[in-house]
Amino acid sequence: MSMIAIYRALLLAGFQQMAQYRIQSLLWMLFAIIRPVIFLAAWVAVASSQGGSVSGYTVGDFAAYYVILTFVSQLSMAWNSHEFEWEVNQGRLSAKLLRPLHPLHYAVVDNIVFKLTTLPVLGLILIAVSITFGARFATQPWHVLAFIPSVILASALLFIFGWIVASLAFWATRMNTANTLWQRAAFVFAGQIAPIGLMPVWLQALSYALPFWYMQGAPTEILRGAVTPERAGLIIAGQAAWLAVCYVGFRLIWRRGVRAYSAVGA
Amino acid sequence: MNEAVVSVRGLEKTYKVHERETGVGATVRGFFNRKFKDVPAVGGIDFEIARGEVVGFLGPNGAGKTTTLKMLSGLLYPTGGDATVLGYTPWKRDYAFLRRIALLMGNRTQLVWDIPAADSFLVLKQIYAITDADFKVRLDGLVELLELQPLIHKPVRQLSLGERMKVEFAAGLLHGPEIVFLDEPTLGLDVSMQARIRTFVSELNRRSGATILLTSHYMDDIVALCRRVIVIHHGKLLYDGALADLAERMAPYKVVGATLRDGAAGADLSQYGEVVANDGAGRVKLRVPRAEAPARTARLVAELGDALADLSLEDPPIEDVIDRVFSGEQLGAAAEPVATR
Repeated sequence: MSMIAIYRALLLAGFQQMAQYRIQSLLWMLFAIIRPVIFLAAWVAVASSQGGSVSGYTVGDFAAYYVILTFVSQLSMAWNSHEFEWEVNQGRLSAKLLRPLHPLHYAVVDNIVFKLTTLPVLGLILIAVSITFGARFATQPWHVLAFIPSVILASALLFIFGWIVASLAFWATRMNTANTLWQRAAFVFAGQIAPIGLMPVWLQALSYALPFWYMQGAPTEILRGAVTPERAGLIIAGQAAWLAVCYVGFRLIWRRGVRAYSAVGA
Repeated sequence: MNEAVVSVRGLEKTYKVHERETGVGATVRGFFNRKFKDVPAVGGIDFEIARGEVVGFLGPNGAGKTTTLKMLSGLLYPTGGDATVLGYTPWKRDYAFLRRIALLMGNRTQLVWDIPAADSFLVLKQIYAITDADFKVRLDGLVELLELQPLIHKPVRQLSLGERMKVEFAAGLLHGPEIVFLDEPTLGLDVSMQARIRTFVSELNRRSGATILLTSHYMDDIVALCRRVIVIHHGKLLYDGALADLAERMAPYKVVGATLRDGAAGADLSQYGEVVANDGAGRVKLRVPRAEAPARTARLVAELGDALADLSLEDPPIEDVIDRVFSGEQLGAAAEPVATR
């Protein structure tokens, strides 16, 4: 029996489940939009007060950046670490560990279902934001082509990184602080506060060295059309390298974590 | 004995537990110097289970029953010893192994809460690679045995505890496991639902030949389902053998039931044994040492003569035996950990 059949069945169940929580999903999505829109409004205000641009970024550039960043964030978001702590501490993981399917797959399906159900509404909102702020996209067709592998790698990287953090729940009872820590790091280094090009050079260097920018900022810059083909290639290579490192790390931590699992509560 | 499908040798599990002392000073010290202590849950047990057996696994809370089941189903890594189940090392969790076993626990959920069980069953069908034909036969069988028809199309969260237990059972058994580990399957259920689950487990064993290792605090479950029991206490094996022999092995006494005629209803029978019950209307229960039971009974018959209306000589109720074992009251054979099988 193929993984396709398993995924089809899980997706069907996932959509049925999601249908029970339509309003909640919509609220989560709106919650995800608020922050980038606030940053967009702030940068627009700064640009307007400085004659229409900040370090070469016009109001239209900021709008394009934050519209795409919101789109990328929605595509790449993963929230497993929050649920995983609960599953480990309550013993809910046991049922999944006893089935001939890695628990990671359930989270993949949850992600796909959430994203597919919320994207149409998100798309409409982002079109409205683009028109309101006069977003200026410099996107060429090849940018779109390069964006596809880039956003897939970004999603996989963020997902696996989230699982590494989540797996620490095998040893630590409370993982919320670790979650918060890495999300704050992502906040700074992924390009949420500002496009990385506006940051001090040392902060840019740090962002390129750490994995967070490759999770959100990198595909955003590609789809915005702000990169050359060579730079797009380098970015995608960087994403692939970080994904490989994180995957190996995840496999090691998971193997040791499952040994430490005490299956309390169930 | 048939082929052993479960083989356990010196299995051990020790949990590392964070020690938390009370008080401000201890709390502050705990920030810098966390103390852990080893808590042994299973202390080196050995047993084998043959294909098709239904074995009761008995012990008080904290005896190590559930920990053992979790090790045998692959959820927990042991800290010592070895076990094979169907030839596999459980904690390696080979998918081929997981497809052939099931661990059903009273409070664990196999099912997606928000959708009908029938939809969860379809997911499990794909995960366990169950063929269409097998799926239909098994599901029909489970629906019939557990009377699930009205339940499987309702969202799981709308089912009562007993109803949910039944659909959980079905979900856990759809893949046709050869070995089923059942941990407290009747916990929290009302008497009629307990009886129904017992009938189901018995039928499951009879129809599919599944090997079943069962823990329960309800002796009725054990008596109804298991001819063989394994008793553990403080992680050590105390008894492994026929349920029928448990009393003889673990309780060094028998119970004499005497019914006296009206005129003798107030007679003092304490010279024949320890009086454990006397209803004042002539029905008396005496506890007598097992070895002396025949002689004391004979003396009682000879001396009371016509005053005796009825007499019985029985093993103590299994609940009493177990209670005495677990409370450390037992003597003789069970004083040292033993495996009698």
